Amino acid sequence: MTTALAPTGPPAVSRFEYNMLRILRFLVGQMPADQAMNLVYAKLPAPPCLSRVCVRIAQDTLAKASVLHLAESGGWRRERFLVDRRPTEGRVWERLPLELRKLAFGPSPLAFLMWLTAEKPTDTSNRWDAPGGLTAADELFFLMAYDELKAEPEVAQALVEKHYFRGNPLVRLAYAGDFAGAVPDFTGCFTGTRVAILECLQPVFAKRWIRSERAKGQIGDWKRMRRQGEVELETLRAFLKAANEARRPDLARFVLVANSVLLAPPELGLGFWTGGLQGQGPGRLADRIETQRVALAFPRQLETLQSWERQARNVGYYEEDYAASQLWKADWELARGDTVAAKARALVERLDPLRTG
Amino acid sequence: MSRAYRITVKESSTRELKGSDEICTQLEVLEILPPEVMAELLKKELIQKGYAENPDGTLSRSDGNTTVTVNPKTFEVSVKSQVGEEVTLESKRETFGYDDVGPGQQELRERLKKQLDDDIDKKAERESERLQGQATAELEEKLCDLQPELSEVVNKVTREALKQKARQLGNIKELTEDEETGSLTIKIEV
Repeated sequence: MTTALAPTGPPAVSRFEYNMLRILRFLVGQMPADQAMNLVYAKLPAPPCLSRVCVRIAQDTLAKASVLHLAESGGWRRERFLVDRRPTEGRVWERLPLELRKLAFGPSPLAFLMWLTAEKPTDTSNRWDAPGGLTAADELFFLMAYDELKAEPEVAQALVEKHYFRGNPLVRLAYAGDFAGAVPDFTGCFTGTRVAILECLQPVFAKRWIRSERAKGQIGDWKRMRRQGEVELETLRAFLKAANEARRPDLARFVLVANSVLLAPPELGLGFWTGGLQGQGPGRLADRIETQRVALAFPRQLETLQSWERQARNVGYYEEDYAASQLWKADWELARGDTVAAKARALVERLDPLRTG
Repeated sequence: MSRAYRITVKESSTRELKGSDEICTQLEVLEILPPEVMAELLKKELIQKGYAENPDGTLSRSDGNTTVTVNPKTFEVSVKSQVGEEVTLESKRETFGYDDVGPGQQELRERLKKQLDDDIDKKAERESERLQGQATAELEEKLCDLQPELSEVVNKVTREALKQKARQLGNIKELTEDEETGSLTIKIEV
């Protein structure tokens, strides 16, 4: 005897939940902006809580989209990264154990989605912000959300003040120039799931920095250049310091790779970064020079990376860090590190009014 | 019938205004000898160029409004230009009042005084900008002269260090030096 299963239709959700789920699909890159932005700008009264069905769909979307995003960003590549201080090759799921690849979301993504659905981010009195710390998966979600929302300058401006973007190390690494104020603590990026996320996002970070550096030549305002350069310098210094302390230079590979691409053209001059600056600039010579120096914040980091390479060269065969140092040396050679570092140094020296030698 | 009256208020203020500009850089001195020996060579060379030693170990030389300071230990150079001037700023304003309507004489005077203070602040700001521009211009002019001078100093220090290093390595058999081009050829017997 068989029992006929009752036909089940598609899950039913309220209008608010329907909009929220569509916004979520947009934020994780599964729906075009032109279909979603009208929902982002619309205001809809928020219900006291979400239905089980809605939460289940949101969880499912978040879980699948985050993993897909990481895999597509760089997780699928056969790369070499340090695992327990030894270079290990393979795709991310081959290199790292499952424990380090588990994404656990906190309450912040759903709370943000509810706020974004209920309020118009550019015109709201509800200043909701993430109440506490974000999990690694939350940080990834907010990076994906910022990727999509940044295209709308007014929305991006409203979001940069919020903790879940401002204090998010992934967002700050990808879009350093968009933010102001103290840089977040990067030391947590080198443990647990965050390591897997950083490994997967290396190509994404490299691409973002290349794009950002190429756009610098279009900046005409001296003050804007100074502000952007200063925050980029501070962010990169803090990140590289944390990577060095965690003995994970491989997780700063995107800085080397992006610089290698940027500094490849033979006729590259200072104009690439500062050619767009309009007028004479600040009255003080010191301010003019400093603005141009900080505009080169990204290539200046090669000095730090080169010091790592020199340290790596001095590690002996029987020392604990030998294998790790060999990986950084290989990365450095692959990116023609000596050539690009010399080029970056020559560019910075051209800004020195008392250049000797 | 109301009667109009005119109120004139004058204000003057003497202020000490300053404009300054400064750049810092680092001399590229090769590490041919130990740092303390290189520092001593640099110090000697700078003293010959008219620099005086300060209590903190730095050397400095002032020329007009510009001061060059070199730290021989860290090879840091700072060039600072500071222009100061005592400026008397004056401002005058007038207004009309009526004895039966509008604000009273005292109130009008106070308003005028506040406006005059703002005028003087704006004038002081403009004067400061002028002095700032003057300081920057002087700094830029100084840098043009200083760059070849410091290059020469670094060159001399390098040559002297090379000579000392050569003496440490063996007997100097031949030494050819061209002051103009800065070239130095040393043949040593080890």
